[in-house]
Amino acid sequence: MIKRSLIYLLLAIGVVIAVAPFVVTILSSLKTSIELVTGVFALPKDAQWQNYRTAWVDGHFDRLFLNSLVVAIGVVVPSIFLSAMTGYAFARFRFRGSNALFAYLLFGLIVPLQALVIPLFYLMRSLHLLDSLWALILPQIGLSLSFGTLLMREAFRTIPREIVEASIVDGASSWKTLWGIMFPLSRPIVGTLALMFFIWTWNEFLLPLIVNIDPKYQTLPVGLLYFQQRWTSNVPVIAAGSTIIFLPLTIVFLLFQRQLIRGITSGAVKG
Amino acid sequence: MRSPSAPEPSAIGSDLALGVRSEPVTRRRGLAGSAWEPYLYLLPALLIFTLFVAVPVVGTVGLSLAHWDGIAWSSASFAGWHNYTRALTEGEFWRSIWHNIQLVPFFVILPAILGLIPAAIVHQVRLKGTPVFRAGLFLPYIMPGVLIGVVWRWLLNPVFGLINSSLKKLGFQPPTWLGDFTWALPTVGLIGAWAAYGFCFVVFLAGMQKISQDLYEAARLDGANTWQEFFAVTLPGLRREMAVVLSVNLINALRAFDVIKATTDGGPGKQTEVVALYMINVFEARQVGYGAAIAVLLAVTTLALSLLVLRLFGERE
Repeated sequence: MIKRSLIYLLLAIGVVIAVAPFVVTILSSLKTSIELVTGVFALPKDAQWQNYRTAWVDGHFDRLFLNSLVVAIGVVVPSIFLSAMTGYAFARFRFRGSNALFAYLLFGLIVPLQALVIPLFYLMRSLHLLDSLWALILPQIGLSLSFGTLLMREAFRTIPREIVEASIVDGASSWKTLWGIMFPLSRPIVGTLALMFFIWTWNEFLLPLIVNIDPKYQTLPVGLLYFQQRWTSNVPVIAAGSTIIFLPLTIVFLLFQRQLIRGITSGAVKG
Repeated sequence: MRSPSAPEPSAIGSDLALGVRSEPVTRRRGLAGSAWEPYLYLLPALLIFTLFVAVPVVGTVGLSLAHWDGIAWSSASFAGWHNYTRALTEGEFWRSIWHNIQLVPFFVILPAILGLIPAAIVHQVRLKGTPVFRAGLFLPYIMPGVLIGVVWRWLLNPVFGLINSSLKKLGFQPPTWLGDFTWALPTVGLIGAWAAYGFCFVVFLAGMQKISQDLYEAARLDGANTWQEFFAVTLPGLRREMAVVLSVNLINALRAFDVIKATTDGGPGKQTEVVALYMINVFEARQVGYGAAIAVLLAVTTLALSLLVLRLFGERE
């Protein structure tokens, strides 16, 4: 049917426009500067892997990558742990001030980072944490907790009450009930949440730009910016640096596409 | 109601660290446990959140009422509303806001349309293979803004970039895009639209698939054509999705920073200096109080406008 194939064509064009810049970047990262000018979509004659070497070694992407990884893990793991605890408190206990405390924690959903980044700089300065990975990890845990609390509370609420009560009758403490029963039962949502925390952290730009001046403690996005300023005319090397950032992200995305899209579209209102 | 008594610090530590305390089951409360137990679960999160989110927010408001060069506390002085009146009477602040407003059609409306129409078509003919399309279309949305900026910057490079070398081969005389006084802002806007349209498509398509088939059948029985179906059934069924897409896009337009920092850094001249960038530039020029006032204005405006969008579209929830 002609109509159907036309629609496929339209969609394919949409996908190509969305993906082409990344494909071109990968291709360019393996070319020489001269090849780049002669044919943009052409395959490189000999793959110029030394572009990656230049980015990795001379551009210090090795360190940037490691920093990004450490910060991502340092944010995601504690944020999941703490969100499970707060979500559990709000889902399973009735206590004085619970509504006020819940609203207080959720306040983080509507505050943009711009509204706290200036005092964060001085806070980190007085804690002697400027130019350290802590300056990136601690605030991002705080910012993750709002969405995490919201999502984990919802997840725990859907678990049938009988399961929880059975565990208590068995003599398990509430702590054991949380980690032994509730948390494993909520694995799909925990997974989605972890992925979203990872992407937010991996992509964060403003915070490291402000609190870390020493490039030794920089993560990939700011590192890429400085890198671009230094290698302005050497596009293959910039393309290699870009690929180092987006390839891991693309792989994570393709592996966990369903959870991620569900998470991002449901949590899209997060600031 | 029992009021919670403050626990011994040592009790908190051992309790949480060991996690082995067993206690009699009480069914009066939501769960077994003593009255302060939920507070223990909240304590570490509340501490981190308070110190690294809430205190800085209060700090921003406080600093916005001060003159301070950011060096020693002794040099700070009370400014009252001065920073706010300065922002509101100064041309530079309004110019940066005007740049954000000019981005709105590109960041908000264009991607919504580019997402809505294909989604409606795909939904109408119930096309197979959408997961593949969905993944491809969504990809730019999860990428860091800096990366998007860096990639587009060299794609748009007037000398060796893909776009201009192709256009020149076709016989056009393309502008320098990001370096051109008239084109820089629309170009940044188009990059933003490019990054967001796939997201809009995915959200709209998911929303359409939730609309009951009965409604479509009823419309067809009434003799509605495809267009009428779209306006009478599909569009009203997308209120929630519309609210999400528009408010998210609007927030992105108002807070735009990463992509612009990486592509133009506000230039040429100040042609693409948006509010977030202006704020950072002011802060880096050591006018801390003034920067904080701009941050407050930005946060309040963003919040008010996104609430307005949610109110307009999302009231059925």
